[in-house]
Amino acid sequence: MNGINFSVPVVRLDRVTKTFNGSGPPTTAVREVSFEVRPGEMVLLLGPSGSGKTTLLTLIAGLAQPTTGTIFLFGKSVEDYPAAALQRIRAERVGFIFQTFLLIDSLTAAENIEMVLRFTGKRRAERSRKTRELLQDLGIEYLAGRFPRTMSQGEKQRVAIARAAANDGALIIADEPTGSLETKQGFDIIRLLHRQAKAHNAAVIVASHDLRLKEFADRTLRLQDGTMANS
Amino acid sequence: MDMYAVRTLRSQPLRLALTIGGVSLCIVLMFFLLGVYRGVADGSVEYIRRNDADLWVLQKNASNILRGSSLVSAAQADALASVRGVRSVSPVLFLLSTLKKEGKVRTIFLTGYEPEKGLGGPPQLVQGRTVRADGEIVLDRSFALKFGFKPGDEVDLQDYRLRVVGISRGTNAFVIQYAFVTLHFARTLIGFPGLATCFLVKTDRATGLNEVRGRIRSELPGLEVYDHPEFLANNIREMKSGFLPLLYTVAAIGAVVLTAILSLLLSVNILERRKDFAILKTLGSPMAFLWGLVVKQAMLIASISNVAALLVFFPLVQVIERITPEVSVESSVVQILGVAAAVEAMSLVSSLVSIRRLRRIYFLEAFA
Repeated sequence: MNGINFSVPVVRLDRVTKTFNGSGPPTTAVREVSFEVRPGEMVLLLGPSGSGKTTLLTLIAGLAQPTTGTIFLFGKSVEDYPAAALQRIRAERVGFIFQTFLLIDSLTAAENIEMVLRFTGKRRAERSRKTRELLQDLGIEYLAGRFPRTMSQGEKQRVAIARAAANDGALIIADEPTGSLETKQGFDIIRLLHRQAKAHNAAVIVASHDLRLKEFADRTLRLQDGTMANS
Repeated sequence: MDMYAVRTLRSQPLRLALTIGGVSLCIVLMFFLLGVYRGVADGSVEYIRRNDADLWVLQKNASNILRGSSLVSAAQADALASVRGVRSVSPVLFLLSTLKKEGKVRTIFLTGYEPEKGLGGPPQLVQGRTVRADGEIVLDRSFALKFGFKPGDEVDLQDYRLRVVGISRGTNAFVIQYAFVTLHFARTLIGFPGLATCFLVKTDRATGLNEVRGRIRSELPGLEVYDHPEFLANNIREMKSGFLPLLYTVAAIGAVVLTAILSLLLSVNILERRKDFAILKTLGSPMAFLWGLVVKQAMLIASISNVAALLVFFPLVQVIERITPEVSVESSVVQILGVAAAVEAMSLVSSLVSIRRLRRIYFLEAFA
């Protein structure tokens, strides 16, 4: 369904460094980071704020280029993908979850999910069917016609998970998915994410500063000042 | 229509209403100016268009009656009448003159003609009858409406008192309107009994028109001869070279303003929603999809504005024509469809201008 090749890591980073050259002195956000994530594996990137977690996620998704080192996405160096191919990969094989959910305010829950499916080229009927399935699967059918402004934080994050899972992608990237939620809601969400990963053999990379999420992850990687520490 | 495109616009109802209002006004302006253009273009030459003369004969080097001067004499009329193939010659004298009513002075394009010959008179009467004798006048409908003249009224023309006997149509040249009197009276006004502006000639059917033209040219070298289509074309050309290009210029300015208003709205929308666009980009939206959203918004506004402009335009024209009857607005379906299509095209241009901003929205903004 999501074109998973179990013999190849979904993501592999090889001594990846990212330095930002702004108006001030250059800042290295990620330094010599190496790891890999396999299909069905849920990896927690644990680190305090400013440790380089989000930068790492954007590099993995091909949204930014590493300064040095190589990132392999689905077995191929990100640098070797043309921009259009990366866009297609994001549309068809990668799901994103953001700390503040980032649902489109002017669209209902169902439309938010359906919007992503449009990028995959699915027909309207198929999009509607898939959206209904996802909403049912996550127990949020009642949110289908509601706008984000009328939802609780937990409900928004569930819709965001449905959106991330909509393309049945092989990789879900979650940036502080529980950061805006209360403890119980946060745990529910991370369980849901874990369940999605296992059910669809998707690799899930969760960036968080919350140590309590460790128990849900298959593996935890610690980031400190852009450098990978031993977990 | 894409729900995102629609809802984003609807989320700022006041701004949307103001934009549609501004764009609609620009469209109304274009409808109006092009309508005036057509009204003037038709009205200015209607007198010539509907004239039954086979040939128009003027002084040498004169080519039209709108913005040219031509003086011909009674002797030339006699000589013209004797040319073989000429059946009748009707002298017509055009004068700029003024009418007085209740102390107010109005300028008219006074046309003196010979009613008994039937050429050179008003092309269409909507009230009353044509002039039969000196002391009678036929006025243009818009002129009569504007200044409150009707058949039976008396008007002062220079030192003479005339009675309005008819109201004509097709005699409104926008900046001035025709009025009709007898040729004899017109000549009396200027004090030259044999003078005319031009001759309207009917020819014998048996003789070819070109043959008669050739004879007139060779026998009367001081005169210029035009057949009907050529003379009409001369006058249309002259009219178009006058103030009418100004109407096109103002209409073009309206189009530019319309494009600017739309571009501004679309750009503001993109800037306000740049986080949405960054999210969509991150989630894998192709650029073409984002462009499509902006284009759809532009075309939606253009379409609504077109409808709003149409709803406003026709009642507005009625009001304008009531207040200023000399402003003749002629609109056709083709003209309106043309403007509507041009507005849709301009909306595309404005979306292209705005689309450039999408390129400067970065993925990382979604994570900020």
